[in-house]
Amino acid sequence: MSRLVIPIGPQHPILKEPISLKVEVEGENITHVDLQIGFVHRGIEKLVESLNWVQAVPLIERICGICSHVHTTTYCQGVEQLAGIEVPKRALYLRTLMCELERIHSHLLWLGIVGRNIGQEAMFMYAWRDRELVMDVMEAFSGGRVSHQANTIGGVRFDPSPAETAAAQKLLAELESKVVALRNIVEHSESFISRTAGMGVMNRDDIRRYGLLGPVARASGVDFDLRRDRPYSVYPELDFKVIVRREGDVWARAMVRVEETMQSIAICHHIINKLPGGAVSVKAPRRVPVGEVISRTEAPRGEVVYYIRSEGGEHPARVKVRTPTLPTLASFPELLQGVSIADMTVIISGADLCIACADR
Amino acid sequence: MLDWLLLTLQMLFFPGLVFQFAGAMVFEWIYRVSIASLEGRIGPPWYQPLMDFLKLISKEDILPKSANRWAATLLPVFSMACVFTAGMYVPFAGTVFDSFEGDLVMVVILLSVPSLGYFLNGWATGGSYSLIGANRSLLQYFSYEVPFLTAVAGPAFMAGSWSIIVIKDYQSQFLSLVFLAPLGFLVALVALIGKLKRNPFDIPKAKSEIVAGPLTETSGESLALWHLTLQVQALIGIFLLVNLFLGKVYPGALVNFLFFLGKAVAVQILLGLISVGYARTSIANLTDIGWKVLVPLSLLQFLVLVIVKGLA
Repeated sequence: MSRLVIPIGPQHPILKEPISLKVEVEGENITHVDLQIGFVHRGIEKLVESLNWVQAVPLIERICGICSHVHTTTYCQGVEQLAGIEVPKRALYLRTLMCELERIHSHLLWLGIVGRNIGQEAMFMYAWRDRELVMDVMEAFSGGRVSHQANTIGGVRFDPSPAETAAAQKLLAELESKVVALRNIVEHSESFISRTAGMGVMNRDDIRRYGLLGPVARASGVDFDLRRDRPYSVYPELDFKVIVRREGDVWARAMVRVEETMQSIAICHHIINKLPGGAVSVKAPRRVPVGEVISRTEAPRGEVVYYIRSEGGEHPARVKVRTPTLPTLASFPELLQGVSIADMTVIISGADLCIACADR
Repeated sequence: MLDWLLLTLQMLFFPGLVFQFAGAMVFEWIYRVSIASLEGRIGPPWYQPLMDFLKLISKEDILPKSANRWAATLLPVFSMACVFTAGMYVPFAGTVFDSFEGDLVMVVILLSVPSLGYFLNGWATGGSYSLIGANRSLLQYFSYEVPFLTAVAGPAFMAGSWSIIVIKDYQSQFLSLVFLAPLGFLVALVALIGKLKRNPFDIPKAKSEIVAGPLTETSGESLALWHLTLQVQALIGIFLLVNLFLGKVYPGALVNFLFFLGKAVAVQILLGLISVGYARTSIANLTDIGWKVLVPLSLLQFLVLVIVKGLA
């Protein structure tokens, strides 16, 4: 059969966000992939420079619609370090709690999307139904389901009462039993395994070559989690396991993500039980002393790095964001070589892309 | 004169256009609701399939410049005519419009015409998704049609006739053939899913891969007719299976009617159950399933039936 170029994107049912993959196929198999990105570039990095330090927080929150809190956490953490602000313990705990809630939400969202893309609509429905529980918890805490506006420089902007945290724990316990059910589907469903096992296999060398991070790397046997290996915030005081698998395929990525969801639920319980009293924020100065800082956090998709430079003024001189999606995108042309169209869908959705993060 | 009038009325109302249209809408709704309840949703109201049809048919038919407008307009009409004609010859609760020796073969062939039309529609409308979907639909056709025919041949062999009504009457004397040919029924059911292009065999129109397959560029009236064709095809396919495998007739017109309807609804819900339970297979897997699993199973079933009939 002659060659045919099928356009995957900028608009296509598998993509939540626009990228463009011009996929050249011969019959069912892919012979060449041409990747284009930048469809949702909003110039946020430049825009941040025109705002003052605090004003930048809500804008940075809008970098991503799924991991919005982790972006502001990374930014605030960096600025606090630069300005030498001592953040109250309670604020750090609450900030971390929100990060973990967001991880649960992001992983469940991903699981649903993979289910939908492999044609298992039921999995999408169940994962997204269960995700509502964690959305409710986040809404109860901060008032926002997606954009929480929870962070500010010097602390957080929400202060849950004991009754509220108890209610959250109840919802989380309910969620846990449902995630166990989802994990059983991922682990044992013949149908799910047949579509994901052996797809998009990457070994440790591939991971290193492309600089891949997060669950994708951990599914290929790279035992690295920023929360444990370069601990920030209150993670040293928390007890959790880093999930690593060696298979390196989409199924392993799914397993890593559901197991991580379980871990995150445990971390949330842990945080709520240990939650200290006191203030949730301190006043941030208008000006930040001259200097530069690199702030790193473990986002649901991998490591988020912020480079922040101050020239002593009211505005950041430069904020550079590095998100884990970009290297994942870079690996696609090689990863998709020779696979069939049906498997391409699985591999693309298995990577958990966040284009808004990558384009900014 | 009266004959012609009666014939026209039969074609228009029962078991023709109106009856099949209404049945297709109701069964489509049952399918959607059964899937929805299995997925933890509520599902649409009963008139939703009708509303979908009315909305689509009232919309403008837009085609790309490169498409063959004649073919794209005629193919759905032709396919629809074929399934409606097939529906005329499938008995509903024991009543049938007409029957003759060999009508089973005709119904099976008429039911497979839309698959060909579907394939041609992909080529006629152009577009890369459509082309790939068209090729896939043809490959899929070769995977399910053979096991379907072999499975359907079992009851025909038992009854010693290729007439659906004779096969059904044959079962009334003893018991429904599903007890004698459970494998055949299962194979026919799975092949029917392939025929209807429903999940897990929605490969030709896999949304996350090739958008809507051969129907990607089809819109408006043509799309409405295509959806109707598939829905009527589902209805007739289910009625066919009920007649061939669950054909035992019970005394009393009302009892028989209710039993027939109940069986048909049960088959539809079973189809929904299979759809919800499995992820979409890839086309390579489907040919494997078709030729390495379904065909041997249906042949085995046939062998069992031959032995049973020999003993009896």
